[in-house]
Amino acid sequence: MNKFLGNKTAILLFTLPTIVLFTIIVMWPTMQVFYRSMFDWDGLSAGKFIFLDNYKRLFEDRLFYTSLKNGIIFAIMLAVLQIGIGTVLALTISNKKIRGRKFLRVSYFIPVVLSVTVVCQLWLAMYNGEYGLINKIFETLGIPYRQDWLSNGKTAIYAVAAVNAWQNMGYHFALLLAAANSIPEQYLEAAKIDGAEKWKAHWKVTIPLMAETYKFCFVLAITGGLNAFANMQIMTGGGPGTDTYTLTYMMYRSAFRVGEFGYGTTAAAFLVIQCLIVTFAINKLIARDRIVY
Amino acid sequence: MWSKIRKGNPIFKLFLWIYAIISVYPLVWMLFYSLKDNNEIFVTNPFGFPTNLRFENYTSAISQFNVPKYFMNSVFVTVITVVGTIVLAVMFAYSAARLRWRGKTIAQMYIVIGMFVPVQVIMIPLAILVRDFNLTNTYSSLIIPYIAFNISFSSMVFYGFFRTIPNELEESACLDGANIYQTFYKIMLPLVKPSIATMVIFVFLAAWNEYPIALMLISDEALKTLPLGLQFFQGQFTTNWGAMGAAMTIASLPTVLVYILFSEQVEKAMTVGSAVKG
Repeated sequence: MNKFLGNKTAILLFTLPTIVLFTIIVMWPTMQVFYRSMFDWDGLSAGKFIFLDNYKRLFEDRLFYTSLKNGIIFAIMLAVLQIGIGTVLALTISNKKIRGRKFLRVSYFIPVVLSVTVVCQLWLAMYNGEYGLINKIFETLGIPYRQDWLSNGKTAIYAVAAVNAWQNMGYHFALLLAAANSIPEQYLEAAKIDGAEKWKAHWKVTIPLMAETYKFCFVLAITGGLNAFANMQIMTGGGPGTDTYTLTYMMYRSAFRVGEFGYGTTAAAFLVIQCLIVTFAINKLIARDRIVY
Repeated sequence: MWSKIRKGNPIFKLFLWIYAIISVYPLVWMLFYSLKDNNEIFVTNPFGFPTNLRFENYTSAISQFNVPKYFMNSVFVTVITVVGTIVLAVMFAYSAARLRWRGKTIAQMYIVIGMFVPVQVIMIPLAILVRDFNLTNTYSSLIIPYIAFNISFSSMVFYGFFRTIPNELEESACLDGANIYQTFYKIMLPLVKPSIATMVIFVFLAAWNEYPIALMLISDEALKTLPLGLQFFQGQFTTNWGAMGAAMTIASLPTVLVYILFSEQVEKAMTVGSAVKG
C-alpha cells in the first residue's frame, strides 16, 4: 500500500504543475510587492534601493489620506448596508411560511452573478444627471432633487460604494440565510416558549449562533471596501478630481499611468498590511469559542 | 402568542418585497431600455414595458460594435480556465489528500494562502512578470493567471472531499491490480463529481466576470473579453442607449441563465468557501 500510494512519479505529476504555477503567478508577485516597495523603480530598469523612503513619501502624500478615507467610507458602507440588509432579509425569509421565497431569493442573488462592468454601466445610466432612472423617479414623484450624483465631490464616493453594496448584498444574504437555516429549530422555539419576542429571540439566539458567518461577512465586506477598485475605474476614474481615489486605485494610477512602479507597490504593501490587521481584529472581536451548538 | 410570532411581522415581510424591487428593477429597466429608442427611454416611457419592441438595438450592438468578438474571447478564455483549473486542482488535491509523501500538509497550506491574496494588490508585479515572459496581449496572459488564482480555492474544496473517502477503496483497487492512475481516474474522480460540478460553476462565474487582470494585461481590441470591452461603452454609446442596453444584456445572459437554471448549485458554489476563509 505504501508503495502504491507513495508512487513518486504520480506524486510529482499530480503536484508539481500546481505548485510551480502558483509560486510563479501568485507567491512570487506577492513577495515582489514588499520587496519593490523599497525601490525607486520605473518598471523597466533595475531600480534604486531607497529602503523606507517610499513609505515616508506615502505618509506625507495628501492623496494617500484621501484614498485611505475613501477606503474606510467604502468599507463601512459595504459592512452596514450588505450585512444589515442581508441580516433582516435572511432572518425574515428563514421563516418557512413566507410566500414566494424562491422568487425573493433569486431576486436578491441575481446581481451577484453579473459582471462588475455591466453593473457599473447600468448604474452610470441610472445616475445620469439628465436621463437617469433615479432622477426620473424623483421627477415623477415631484421632488425637485435632480442632480448629477457622480460629479458632486461630496456624494460621489457614496454613490460608487452604493453600487458595490447593491451588487453584492445578495452574496451576504445567501451566506447568512445558509447560516440561519443550519441552526436547529429548537433553539428559537425554546426562546419563544420563554416568551421572547421574535426579533428579540433572533437577537439573543440566532445572531450569536451565526457568529462564524458574521466574521466571514465582516472580513469580506471590509477588506472588499478597502480593496475597492473596479467600481471607480469604470464609473469615475477616481474623480471628480481625486474625490473617489482608493488605495488600489492610487496604486494603479502610480504604476500604469505615471510609471512610478515602486511607489505604487508601496501603496499595495500598505493595503496588504491594513487588510491583515482588519482580518485579525475581526477574528479577535468576534470570539470563536463562545459558540457551542 | 405563538401563532402571532409564526406569522411574522408584516413590516419585515413588506421589506422583503421592497428590497426585491430594488434588487431586480434596475435589471428589468436595462432589459426594457435595450428594446426602446432614445425618445422612449428619455421622455415618453422611461419606466415601463417598451411600447414597440425594437430588436434592431440588438442587431446594431452586434454589427456595429465588437460584441461578438468580445463574447467569443470571453467564451474561449473561460472554457480553458475552467478546464485547466479543475484538472490541476483535482490532481493536486488528490495527491495532497490521499498519496503518501512528506510535506503534503505544508504543500496544501501553501496553496491555500492564495485565497487571502487579493488580485488587485499584486497587479504591478504580475504585469511586469507577464511582460518579462513576453505574454502581454495574448490569451495566455489571461488564462494562466486566472487558473493560478482559482486553483487555491478549488483545490481546497476538492481536498476536503477527498479526505472523506474511506481508505478501503484504494486498498481494494490496489489488490485488484489497478495502478495509481487507474485508481485516480476510474475510482476517485467519479466520487468527487458533485464537487467538480460545483467548482465548474464557481470558476465559470469568476472567469467570465473577471475585470482587473484583463484591464491591466490586455489592450489589444481583438483580445478583449466582455467585461473589458464594455467598460468604455458609456462614452461611445451616449447617443444610443438602446444598443448599449442590448450589449449589456447579451454580456449578462450566460451567467444569468446559468444562475436561473442551477440557482441552488450556484448559491452553494459561491458560499462554499465561507466555512474556511473567515
